[in-house]
Amino acid sequence: MAWTGRRSRPLPQAAARQEGRSTIEGLLEHQKAWEAFAACAVSVIPVLKKQMEAVTQQTERASMDLMVHIRAMTSPATTSRPTDTSANLSKIVMAMQFQDITQQKLEHVAQALDQWHKHLHALLKGPHDERAKQEIAALQRLEQSYTMEEERRLHAAALVPDYQEPVPMETEQMEAESESVTLF
Amino acid sequence: MNKTALVVDDSPTMRQMVALTLSNAGFTVVEAEDGKDAVKKVAAGPKMDIVVTDLNMPEMDGISLIKELRKMAAFRFTPILMLTTESAADKKQAGKEAGATGWIVKPFNPELMLKVIAKVLPA
Repeated sequence: MAWTGRRSRPLPQAAARQEGRSTIEGLLEHQKAWEAFAACAVSVIPVLKKQMEAVTQQTERASMDLMVHIRAMTSPATTSRPTDTSANLSKIVMAMQFQDITQQKLEHVAQALDQWHKHLHALLKGPHDERAKQEIAALQRLEQSYTMEEERRLHAAALVPDYQEPVPMETEQMEAESESVTLF
Repeated sequence: MNKTALVVDDSPTMRQMVALTLSNAGFTVVEAEDGKDAVKKVAAGPKMDIVVTDLNMPEMDGISLIKELRKMAAFRFTPILMLTTESAADKKQAGKEAGATGWIVKPFNPELMLKVIAKVLPA
């Protein structure tokens, strides 16, 4: 029985070769774009994790400070000395500011995640999408979104294996206090 | 003390902490939630003796606010303190160039802040 279906015309050899080459080139570009994404993820994930761990530590420290100073302020020995009460109140106000500081830190982590989301979205459209390149470039400039010295320090430290955040000492806190004011 | 302070910060808790510190020291405090709100409040409100402002805020940031205030005759010599988590030298320089009087890094110590204010307030 004769075959009656339409048979596609064979491509000329050169055209088939060309089509094969562009498919491979496309796949390679895809691979390159996803590799760039993976490389970025490998460096950014530990940084974001470190920043979030720092928030937890700071919350813990602030709660502890609040407890210590409230206890000190309400102890009979302190209540009779107004200067001690005032000093403890100052410490309480300082500890309570953890909310503003941790909020900013978490906002910067959220910004990075948003950037990441945008990048993935653009990447799914294909490696030729110019936005994918722009978004990954923005993610690599994550450090520019930081407002705190501690964030910059943590960012650099997160790229070093086995980094341990130093426990702040009382003397360091006192030095930091005097350095916290600049008059122009 | 019969002095008025303008406190600008987008964080309500932060604003209240600064306001509490200043009101306990005898200041009348006017609060604004960002630079734009601050400009609106100073246009309608009383003369300010001191301004304490955050740096990073929506709508109008602290640097832009200082520039706006310094354009006004009433604020040409008013002490303006920046209160921020930012401690980078380039940001401080930008604050100085905009016309800030001083820079306090958060978390602020209320006693230290009052000492700084006493130093910058005209007698």
